[in-house]
Amino acid sequence: MATFSEIDEYGFKRSENFDYQMYERFMSDYLKVLAKRQQKWEEFLSKNSDLTHIDSTLKRYIRKGIPSSKRCDVWMKISGAGKFQKEFPNRFRELVEEEPEKSLKDSIIIDLPRTFPDNSMFNTQKEQLYNILIAFAHSNKAIGYCQGLNYIAGLLLLVTKDEEKSFWLLKVIVEKHVPNYHTSKMENLLRDLAVFKELVIRRVPEVNRHIENCGLPYAVIASKWFICLFAEVLPVETVLRIWDCVFSEGYKVLFRAALAVFITHKNKILECDDIAALSTIFREQLMSGEITTNCHKFIESMFKIRLTRSEVESLRKKCVGRNDT
Amino acid sequence: MTRNYGALETKRFLVTPETKDFPRNNYGMATARGNNGSGQRPNNTTQNRICQFKLVLLGESAVGKSSLVLRFVKGQFHEYQESTIGAAFLTQTLCIDDTTVKFEIWDTAGQERYHSLAPMYYRGAQAAIVVYDIQNQDSFERAKNWVKELQRQATPNIVIALAGNKADLSQSRVVEHDEAKQYAEENGLLFLETSAKTAMNVNDIFLAIAKKLPKVEGNNGNVHGRRLNENEPNRQMNNCCK
Repeated sequence: MATFSEIDEYGFKRSENFDYQMYERFMSDYLKVLAKRQQKWEEFLSKNSDLTHIDSTLKRYIRKGIPSSKRCDVWMKISGAGKFQKEFPNRFRELVEEEPEKSLKDSIIIDLPRTFPDNSMFNTQKEQLYNILIAFAHSNKAIGYCQGLNYIAGLLLLVTKDEEKSFWLLKVIVEKHVPNYHTSKMENLLRDLAVFKELVIRRVPEVNRHIENCGLPYAVIASKWFICLFAEVLPVETVLRIWDCVFSEGYKVLFRAALAVFITHKNKILECDDIAALSTIFREQLMSGEITTNCHKFIESMFKIRLTRSEVESLRKKCVGRNDT
Repeated sequence: MTRNYGALETKRFLVTPETKDFPRNNYGMATARGNNGSGQRPNNTTQNRICQFKLVLLGESAVGKSSLVLRFVKGQFHEYQESTIGAAFLTQTLCIDDTTVKFEIWDTAGQERYHSLAPMYYRGAQAAIVVYDIQNQDSFERAKNWVKELQRQATPNIVIALAGNKADLSQSRVVEHDEAKQYAEENGLLFLETSAKTAMNVNDIFLAIAKKLPKVEGNNGNVHGRRLNENEPNRQMNNCCK
C-alpha cells in the first residue's frame, strides 16, 4: 500500500507511526496542485524575471506555493538576499575565515550532530552548516549563536544546497523578519508570545481559557514556533510554504500560522482534559497530523484569518516588556 | 522532519513487572504507570492516591537533560539528541507503596540566553533536577548557579536533585564525585551520578525525589503535590502526599 518511501524528499526519516494512508490521500490531490503550480510559475517567470517588486499577482502566486525546483531562486529574489549577495560578494567567505572565539565555536560544534541527526542528506553538510552559523555569528555580534538558528539554517541548506545563499537568507529572516528574537534577552520573542496570546484571546477565547485552565504556558507551547519559524514544529513542506509567505509578506505570516494552528485544532484542544494530553497534541499532531500535513489547506486557513498589521503593531506596543506568557 | 523528540510521549499503558522499558528498580518495584486515571496497579490492588508533582530540568546546554527524560519516560537513548528549543513537557508515573506519583516533567533549553524563559518554567515546581556533565567543569559551575537561583526564587522547600550525567564517560571525568557530593550535602540536595546512555541511576534519581517530596511538605497539602483523588481519606498516609 505504501508507495511513499520512509525518507521524505528532503532526506528526513518519517516517524514510526507515520500515517502513510493519510499521506497518500493528501498527496493524490496535492501532486495535481504541484503540477499546476509548476506550469503556472514557469509561465510567470518567463515573463517576469525580476521579482524584487512584489505585486498582488506575485503575492498570490507565492501564497499558492513556490515549486520546489524554483524555491531557491525565488526566495533569493523576493527576500532581497540575492541583492545582498551581489553587493557583498566576498563578505560570506571573510566572515567564515574570521578567527572564532572558542566558546562560540564550541557552542556551534556541539549542535552540529544534534541538528537533524536522522536526515540522510544532512550527514555530509555539517561543515556547510558550521560555516553558515559561524558567518552569521560573526556578522551579528548581538546575536552570535542562538540555539534554534541551527534548524533554520539547516532547512535553508536543504532547500538551497548552497551555504552562501543560506547565510544571506538566514540574515534576512533573523534580522529583518524576527529581529531581537534570538538576542541574549530574547525580548521580542517574549513580547510576541504575549501578542500571540492576546490574539488567541480575541479570536478563539474558549481555546485560551481551556489552555489556561490546563496550566500550560504559551511559552512552553509556542517558543519554538517563533524561534525556529516552525522548523522542527510542522511538517517540512508546510514550513517551506510558510517561509515562502514570510519572505514575501513578513512577520505577520508567523502570527497567522500560529493562530491557524490553534483554530484548526480547536476541537482537539478543547477535548484535552489535562496538561499532558494538551502537550501531546502540540508535540505530535502538529508534526505528523493530517491538518498540518495538508499544507495547501493549512495555508488557506492561515489566510482566512482576519489580521491586520496595525492590530499586531498596537498589541506589540502593549506587550513590550511582558515575560509571563 | 525527524521526530526524535516527538517520540517522547506520555506513556499510556499499565506497566507490568515484565515491561522491558522499566526493569525493576532497586526499590523492588516495577513502577511506571500510565496516566489513565483509575487503572489498576500491577499487583491488581486498588490504588489509593495519586499525587502530581511538577519537576523541572535545568542545566547547561548538551549535558543530557533531554536524554535523562527520554531514558526515564521511554527507556530510550539517542547518541545525538536534538537540542531542545524553549521547553518540552512530558509526564511519567511511579508507584511507591500504595501511592502513585505522577511527574509533570518540564524539560528546558540549556543555552544561557534561554534563561529569560526559565522562570516561567520553574514557577510552581515542587522538584528540580539540575544536571551537569562530569566531563565539563563549566557545566558544574552553571549547575551551582541554577541551584542558587532555585533556592532564591523558586517554590520554597523545592526538592532539588543534582545529577552528574555522562557517568559512563568517567575516563574523561573532570568533576570529582566527592566534590559534587560534598557540595550537594552542604546545600541539602539529593545527588547521584547518572548515565542516560546506560540508564545508570536514572530511575533512581526520580524515585529518590519522589520519596523525598512528602518529607518536606508544609502544612498546606496543596503546596507540594496536588492530590488528584483519594479513595481512603481517613487512612494514614505513609509515603507521599498528605
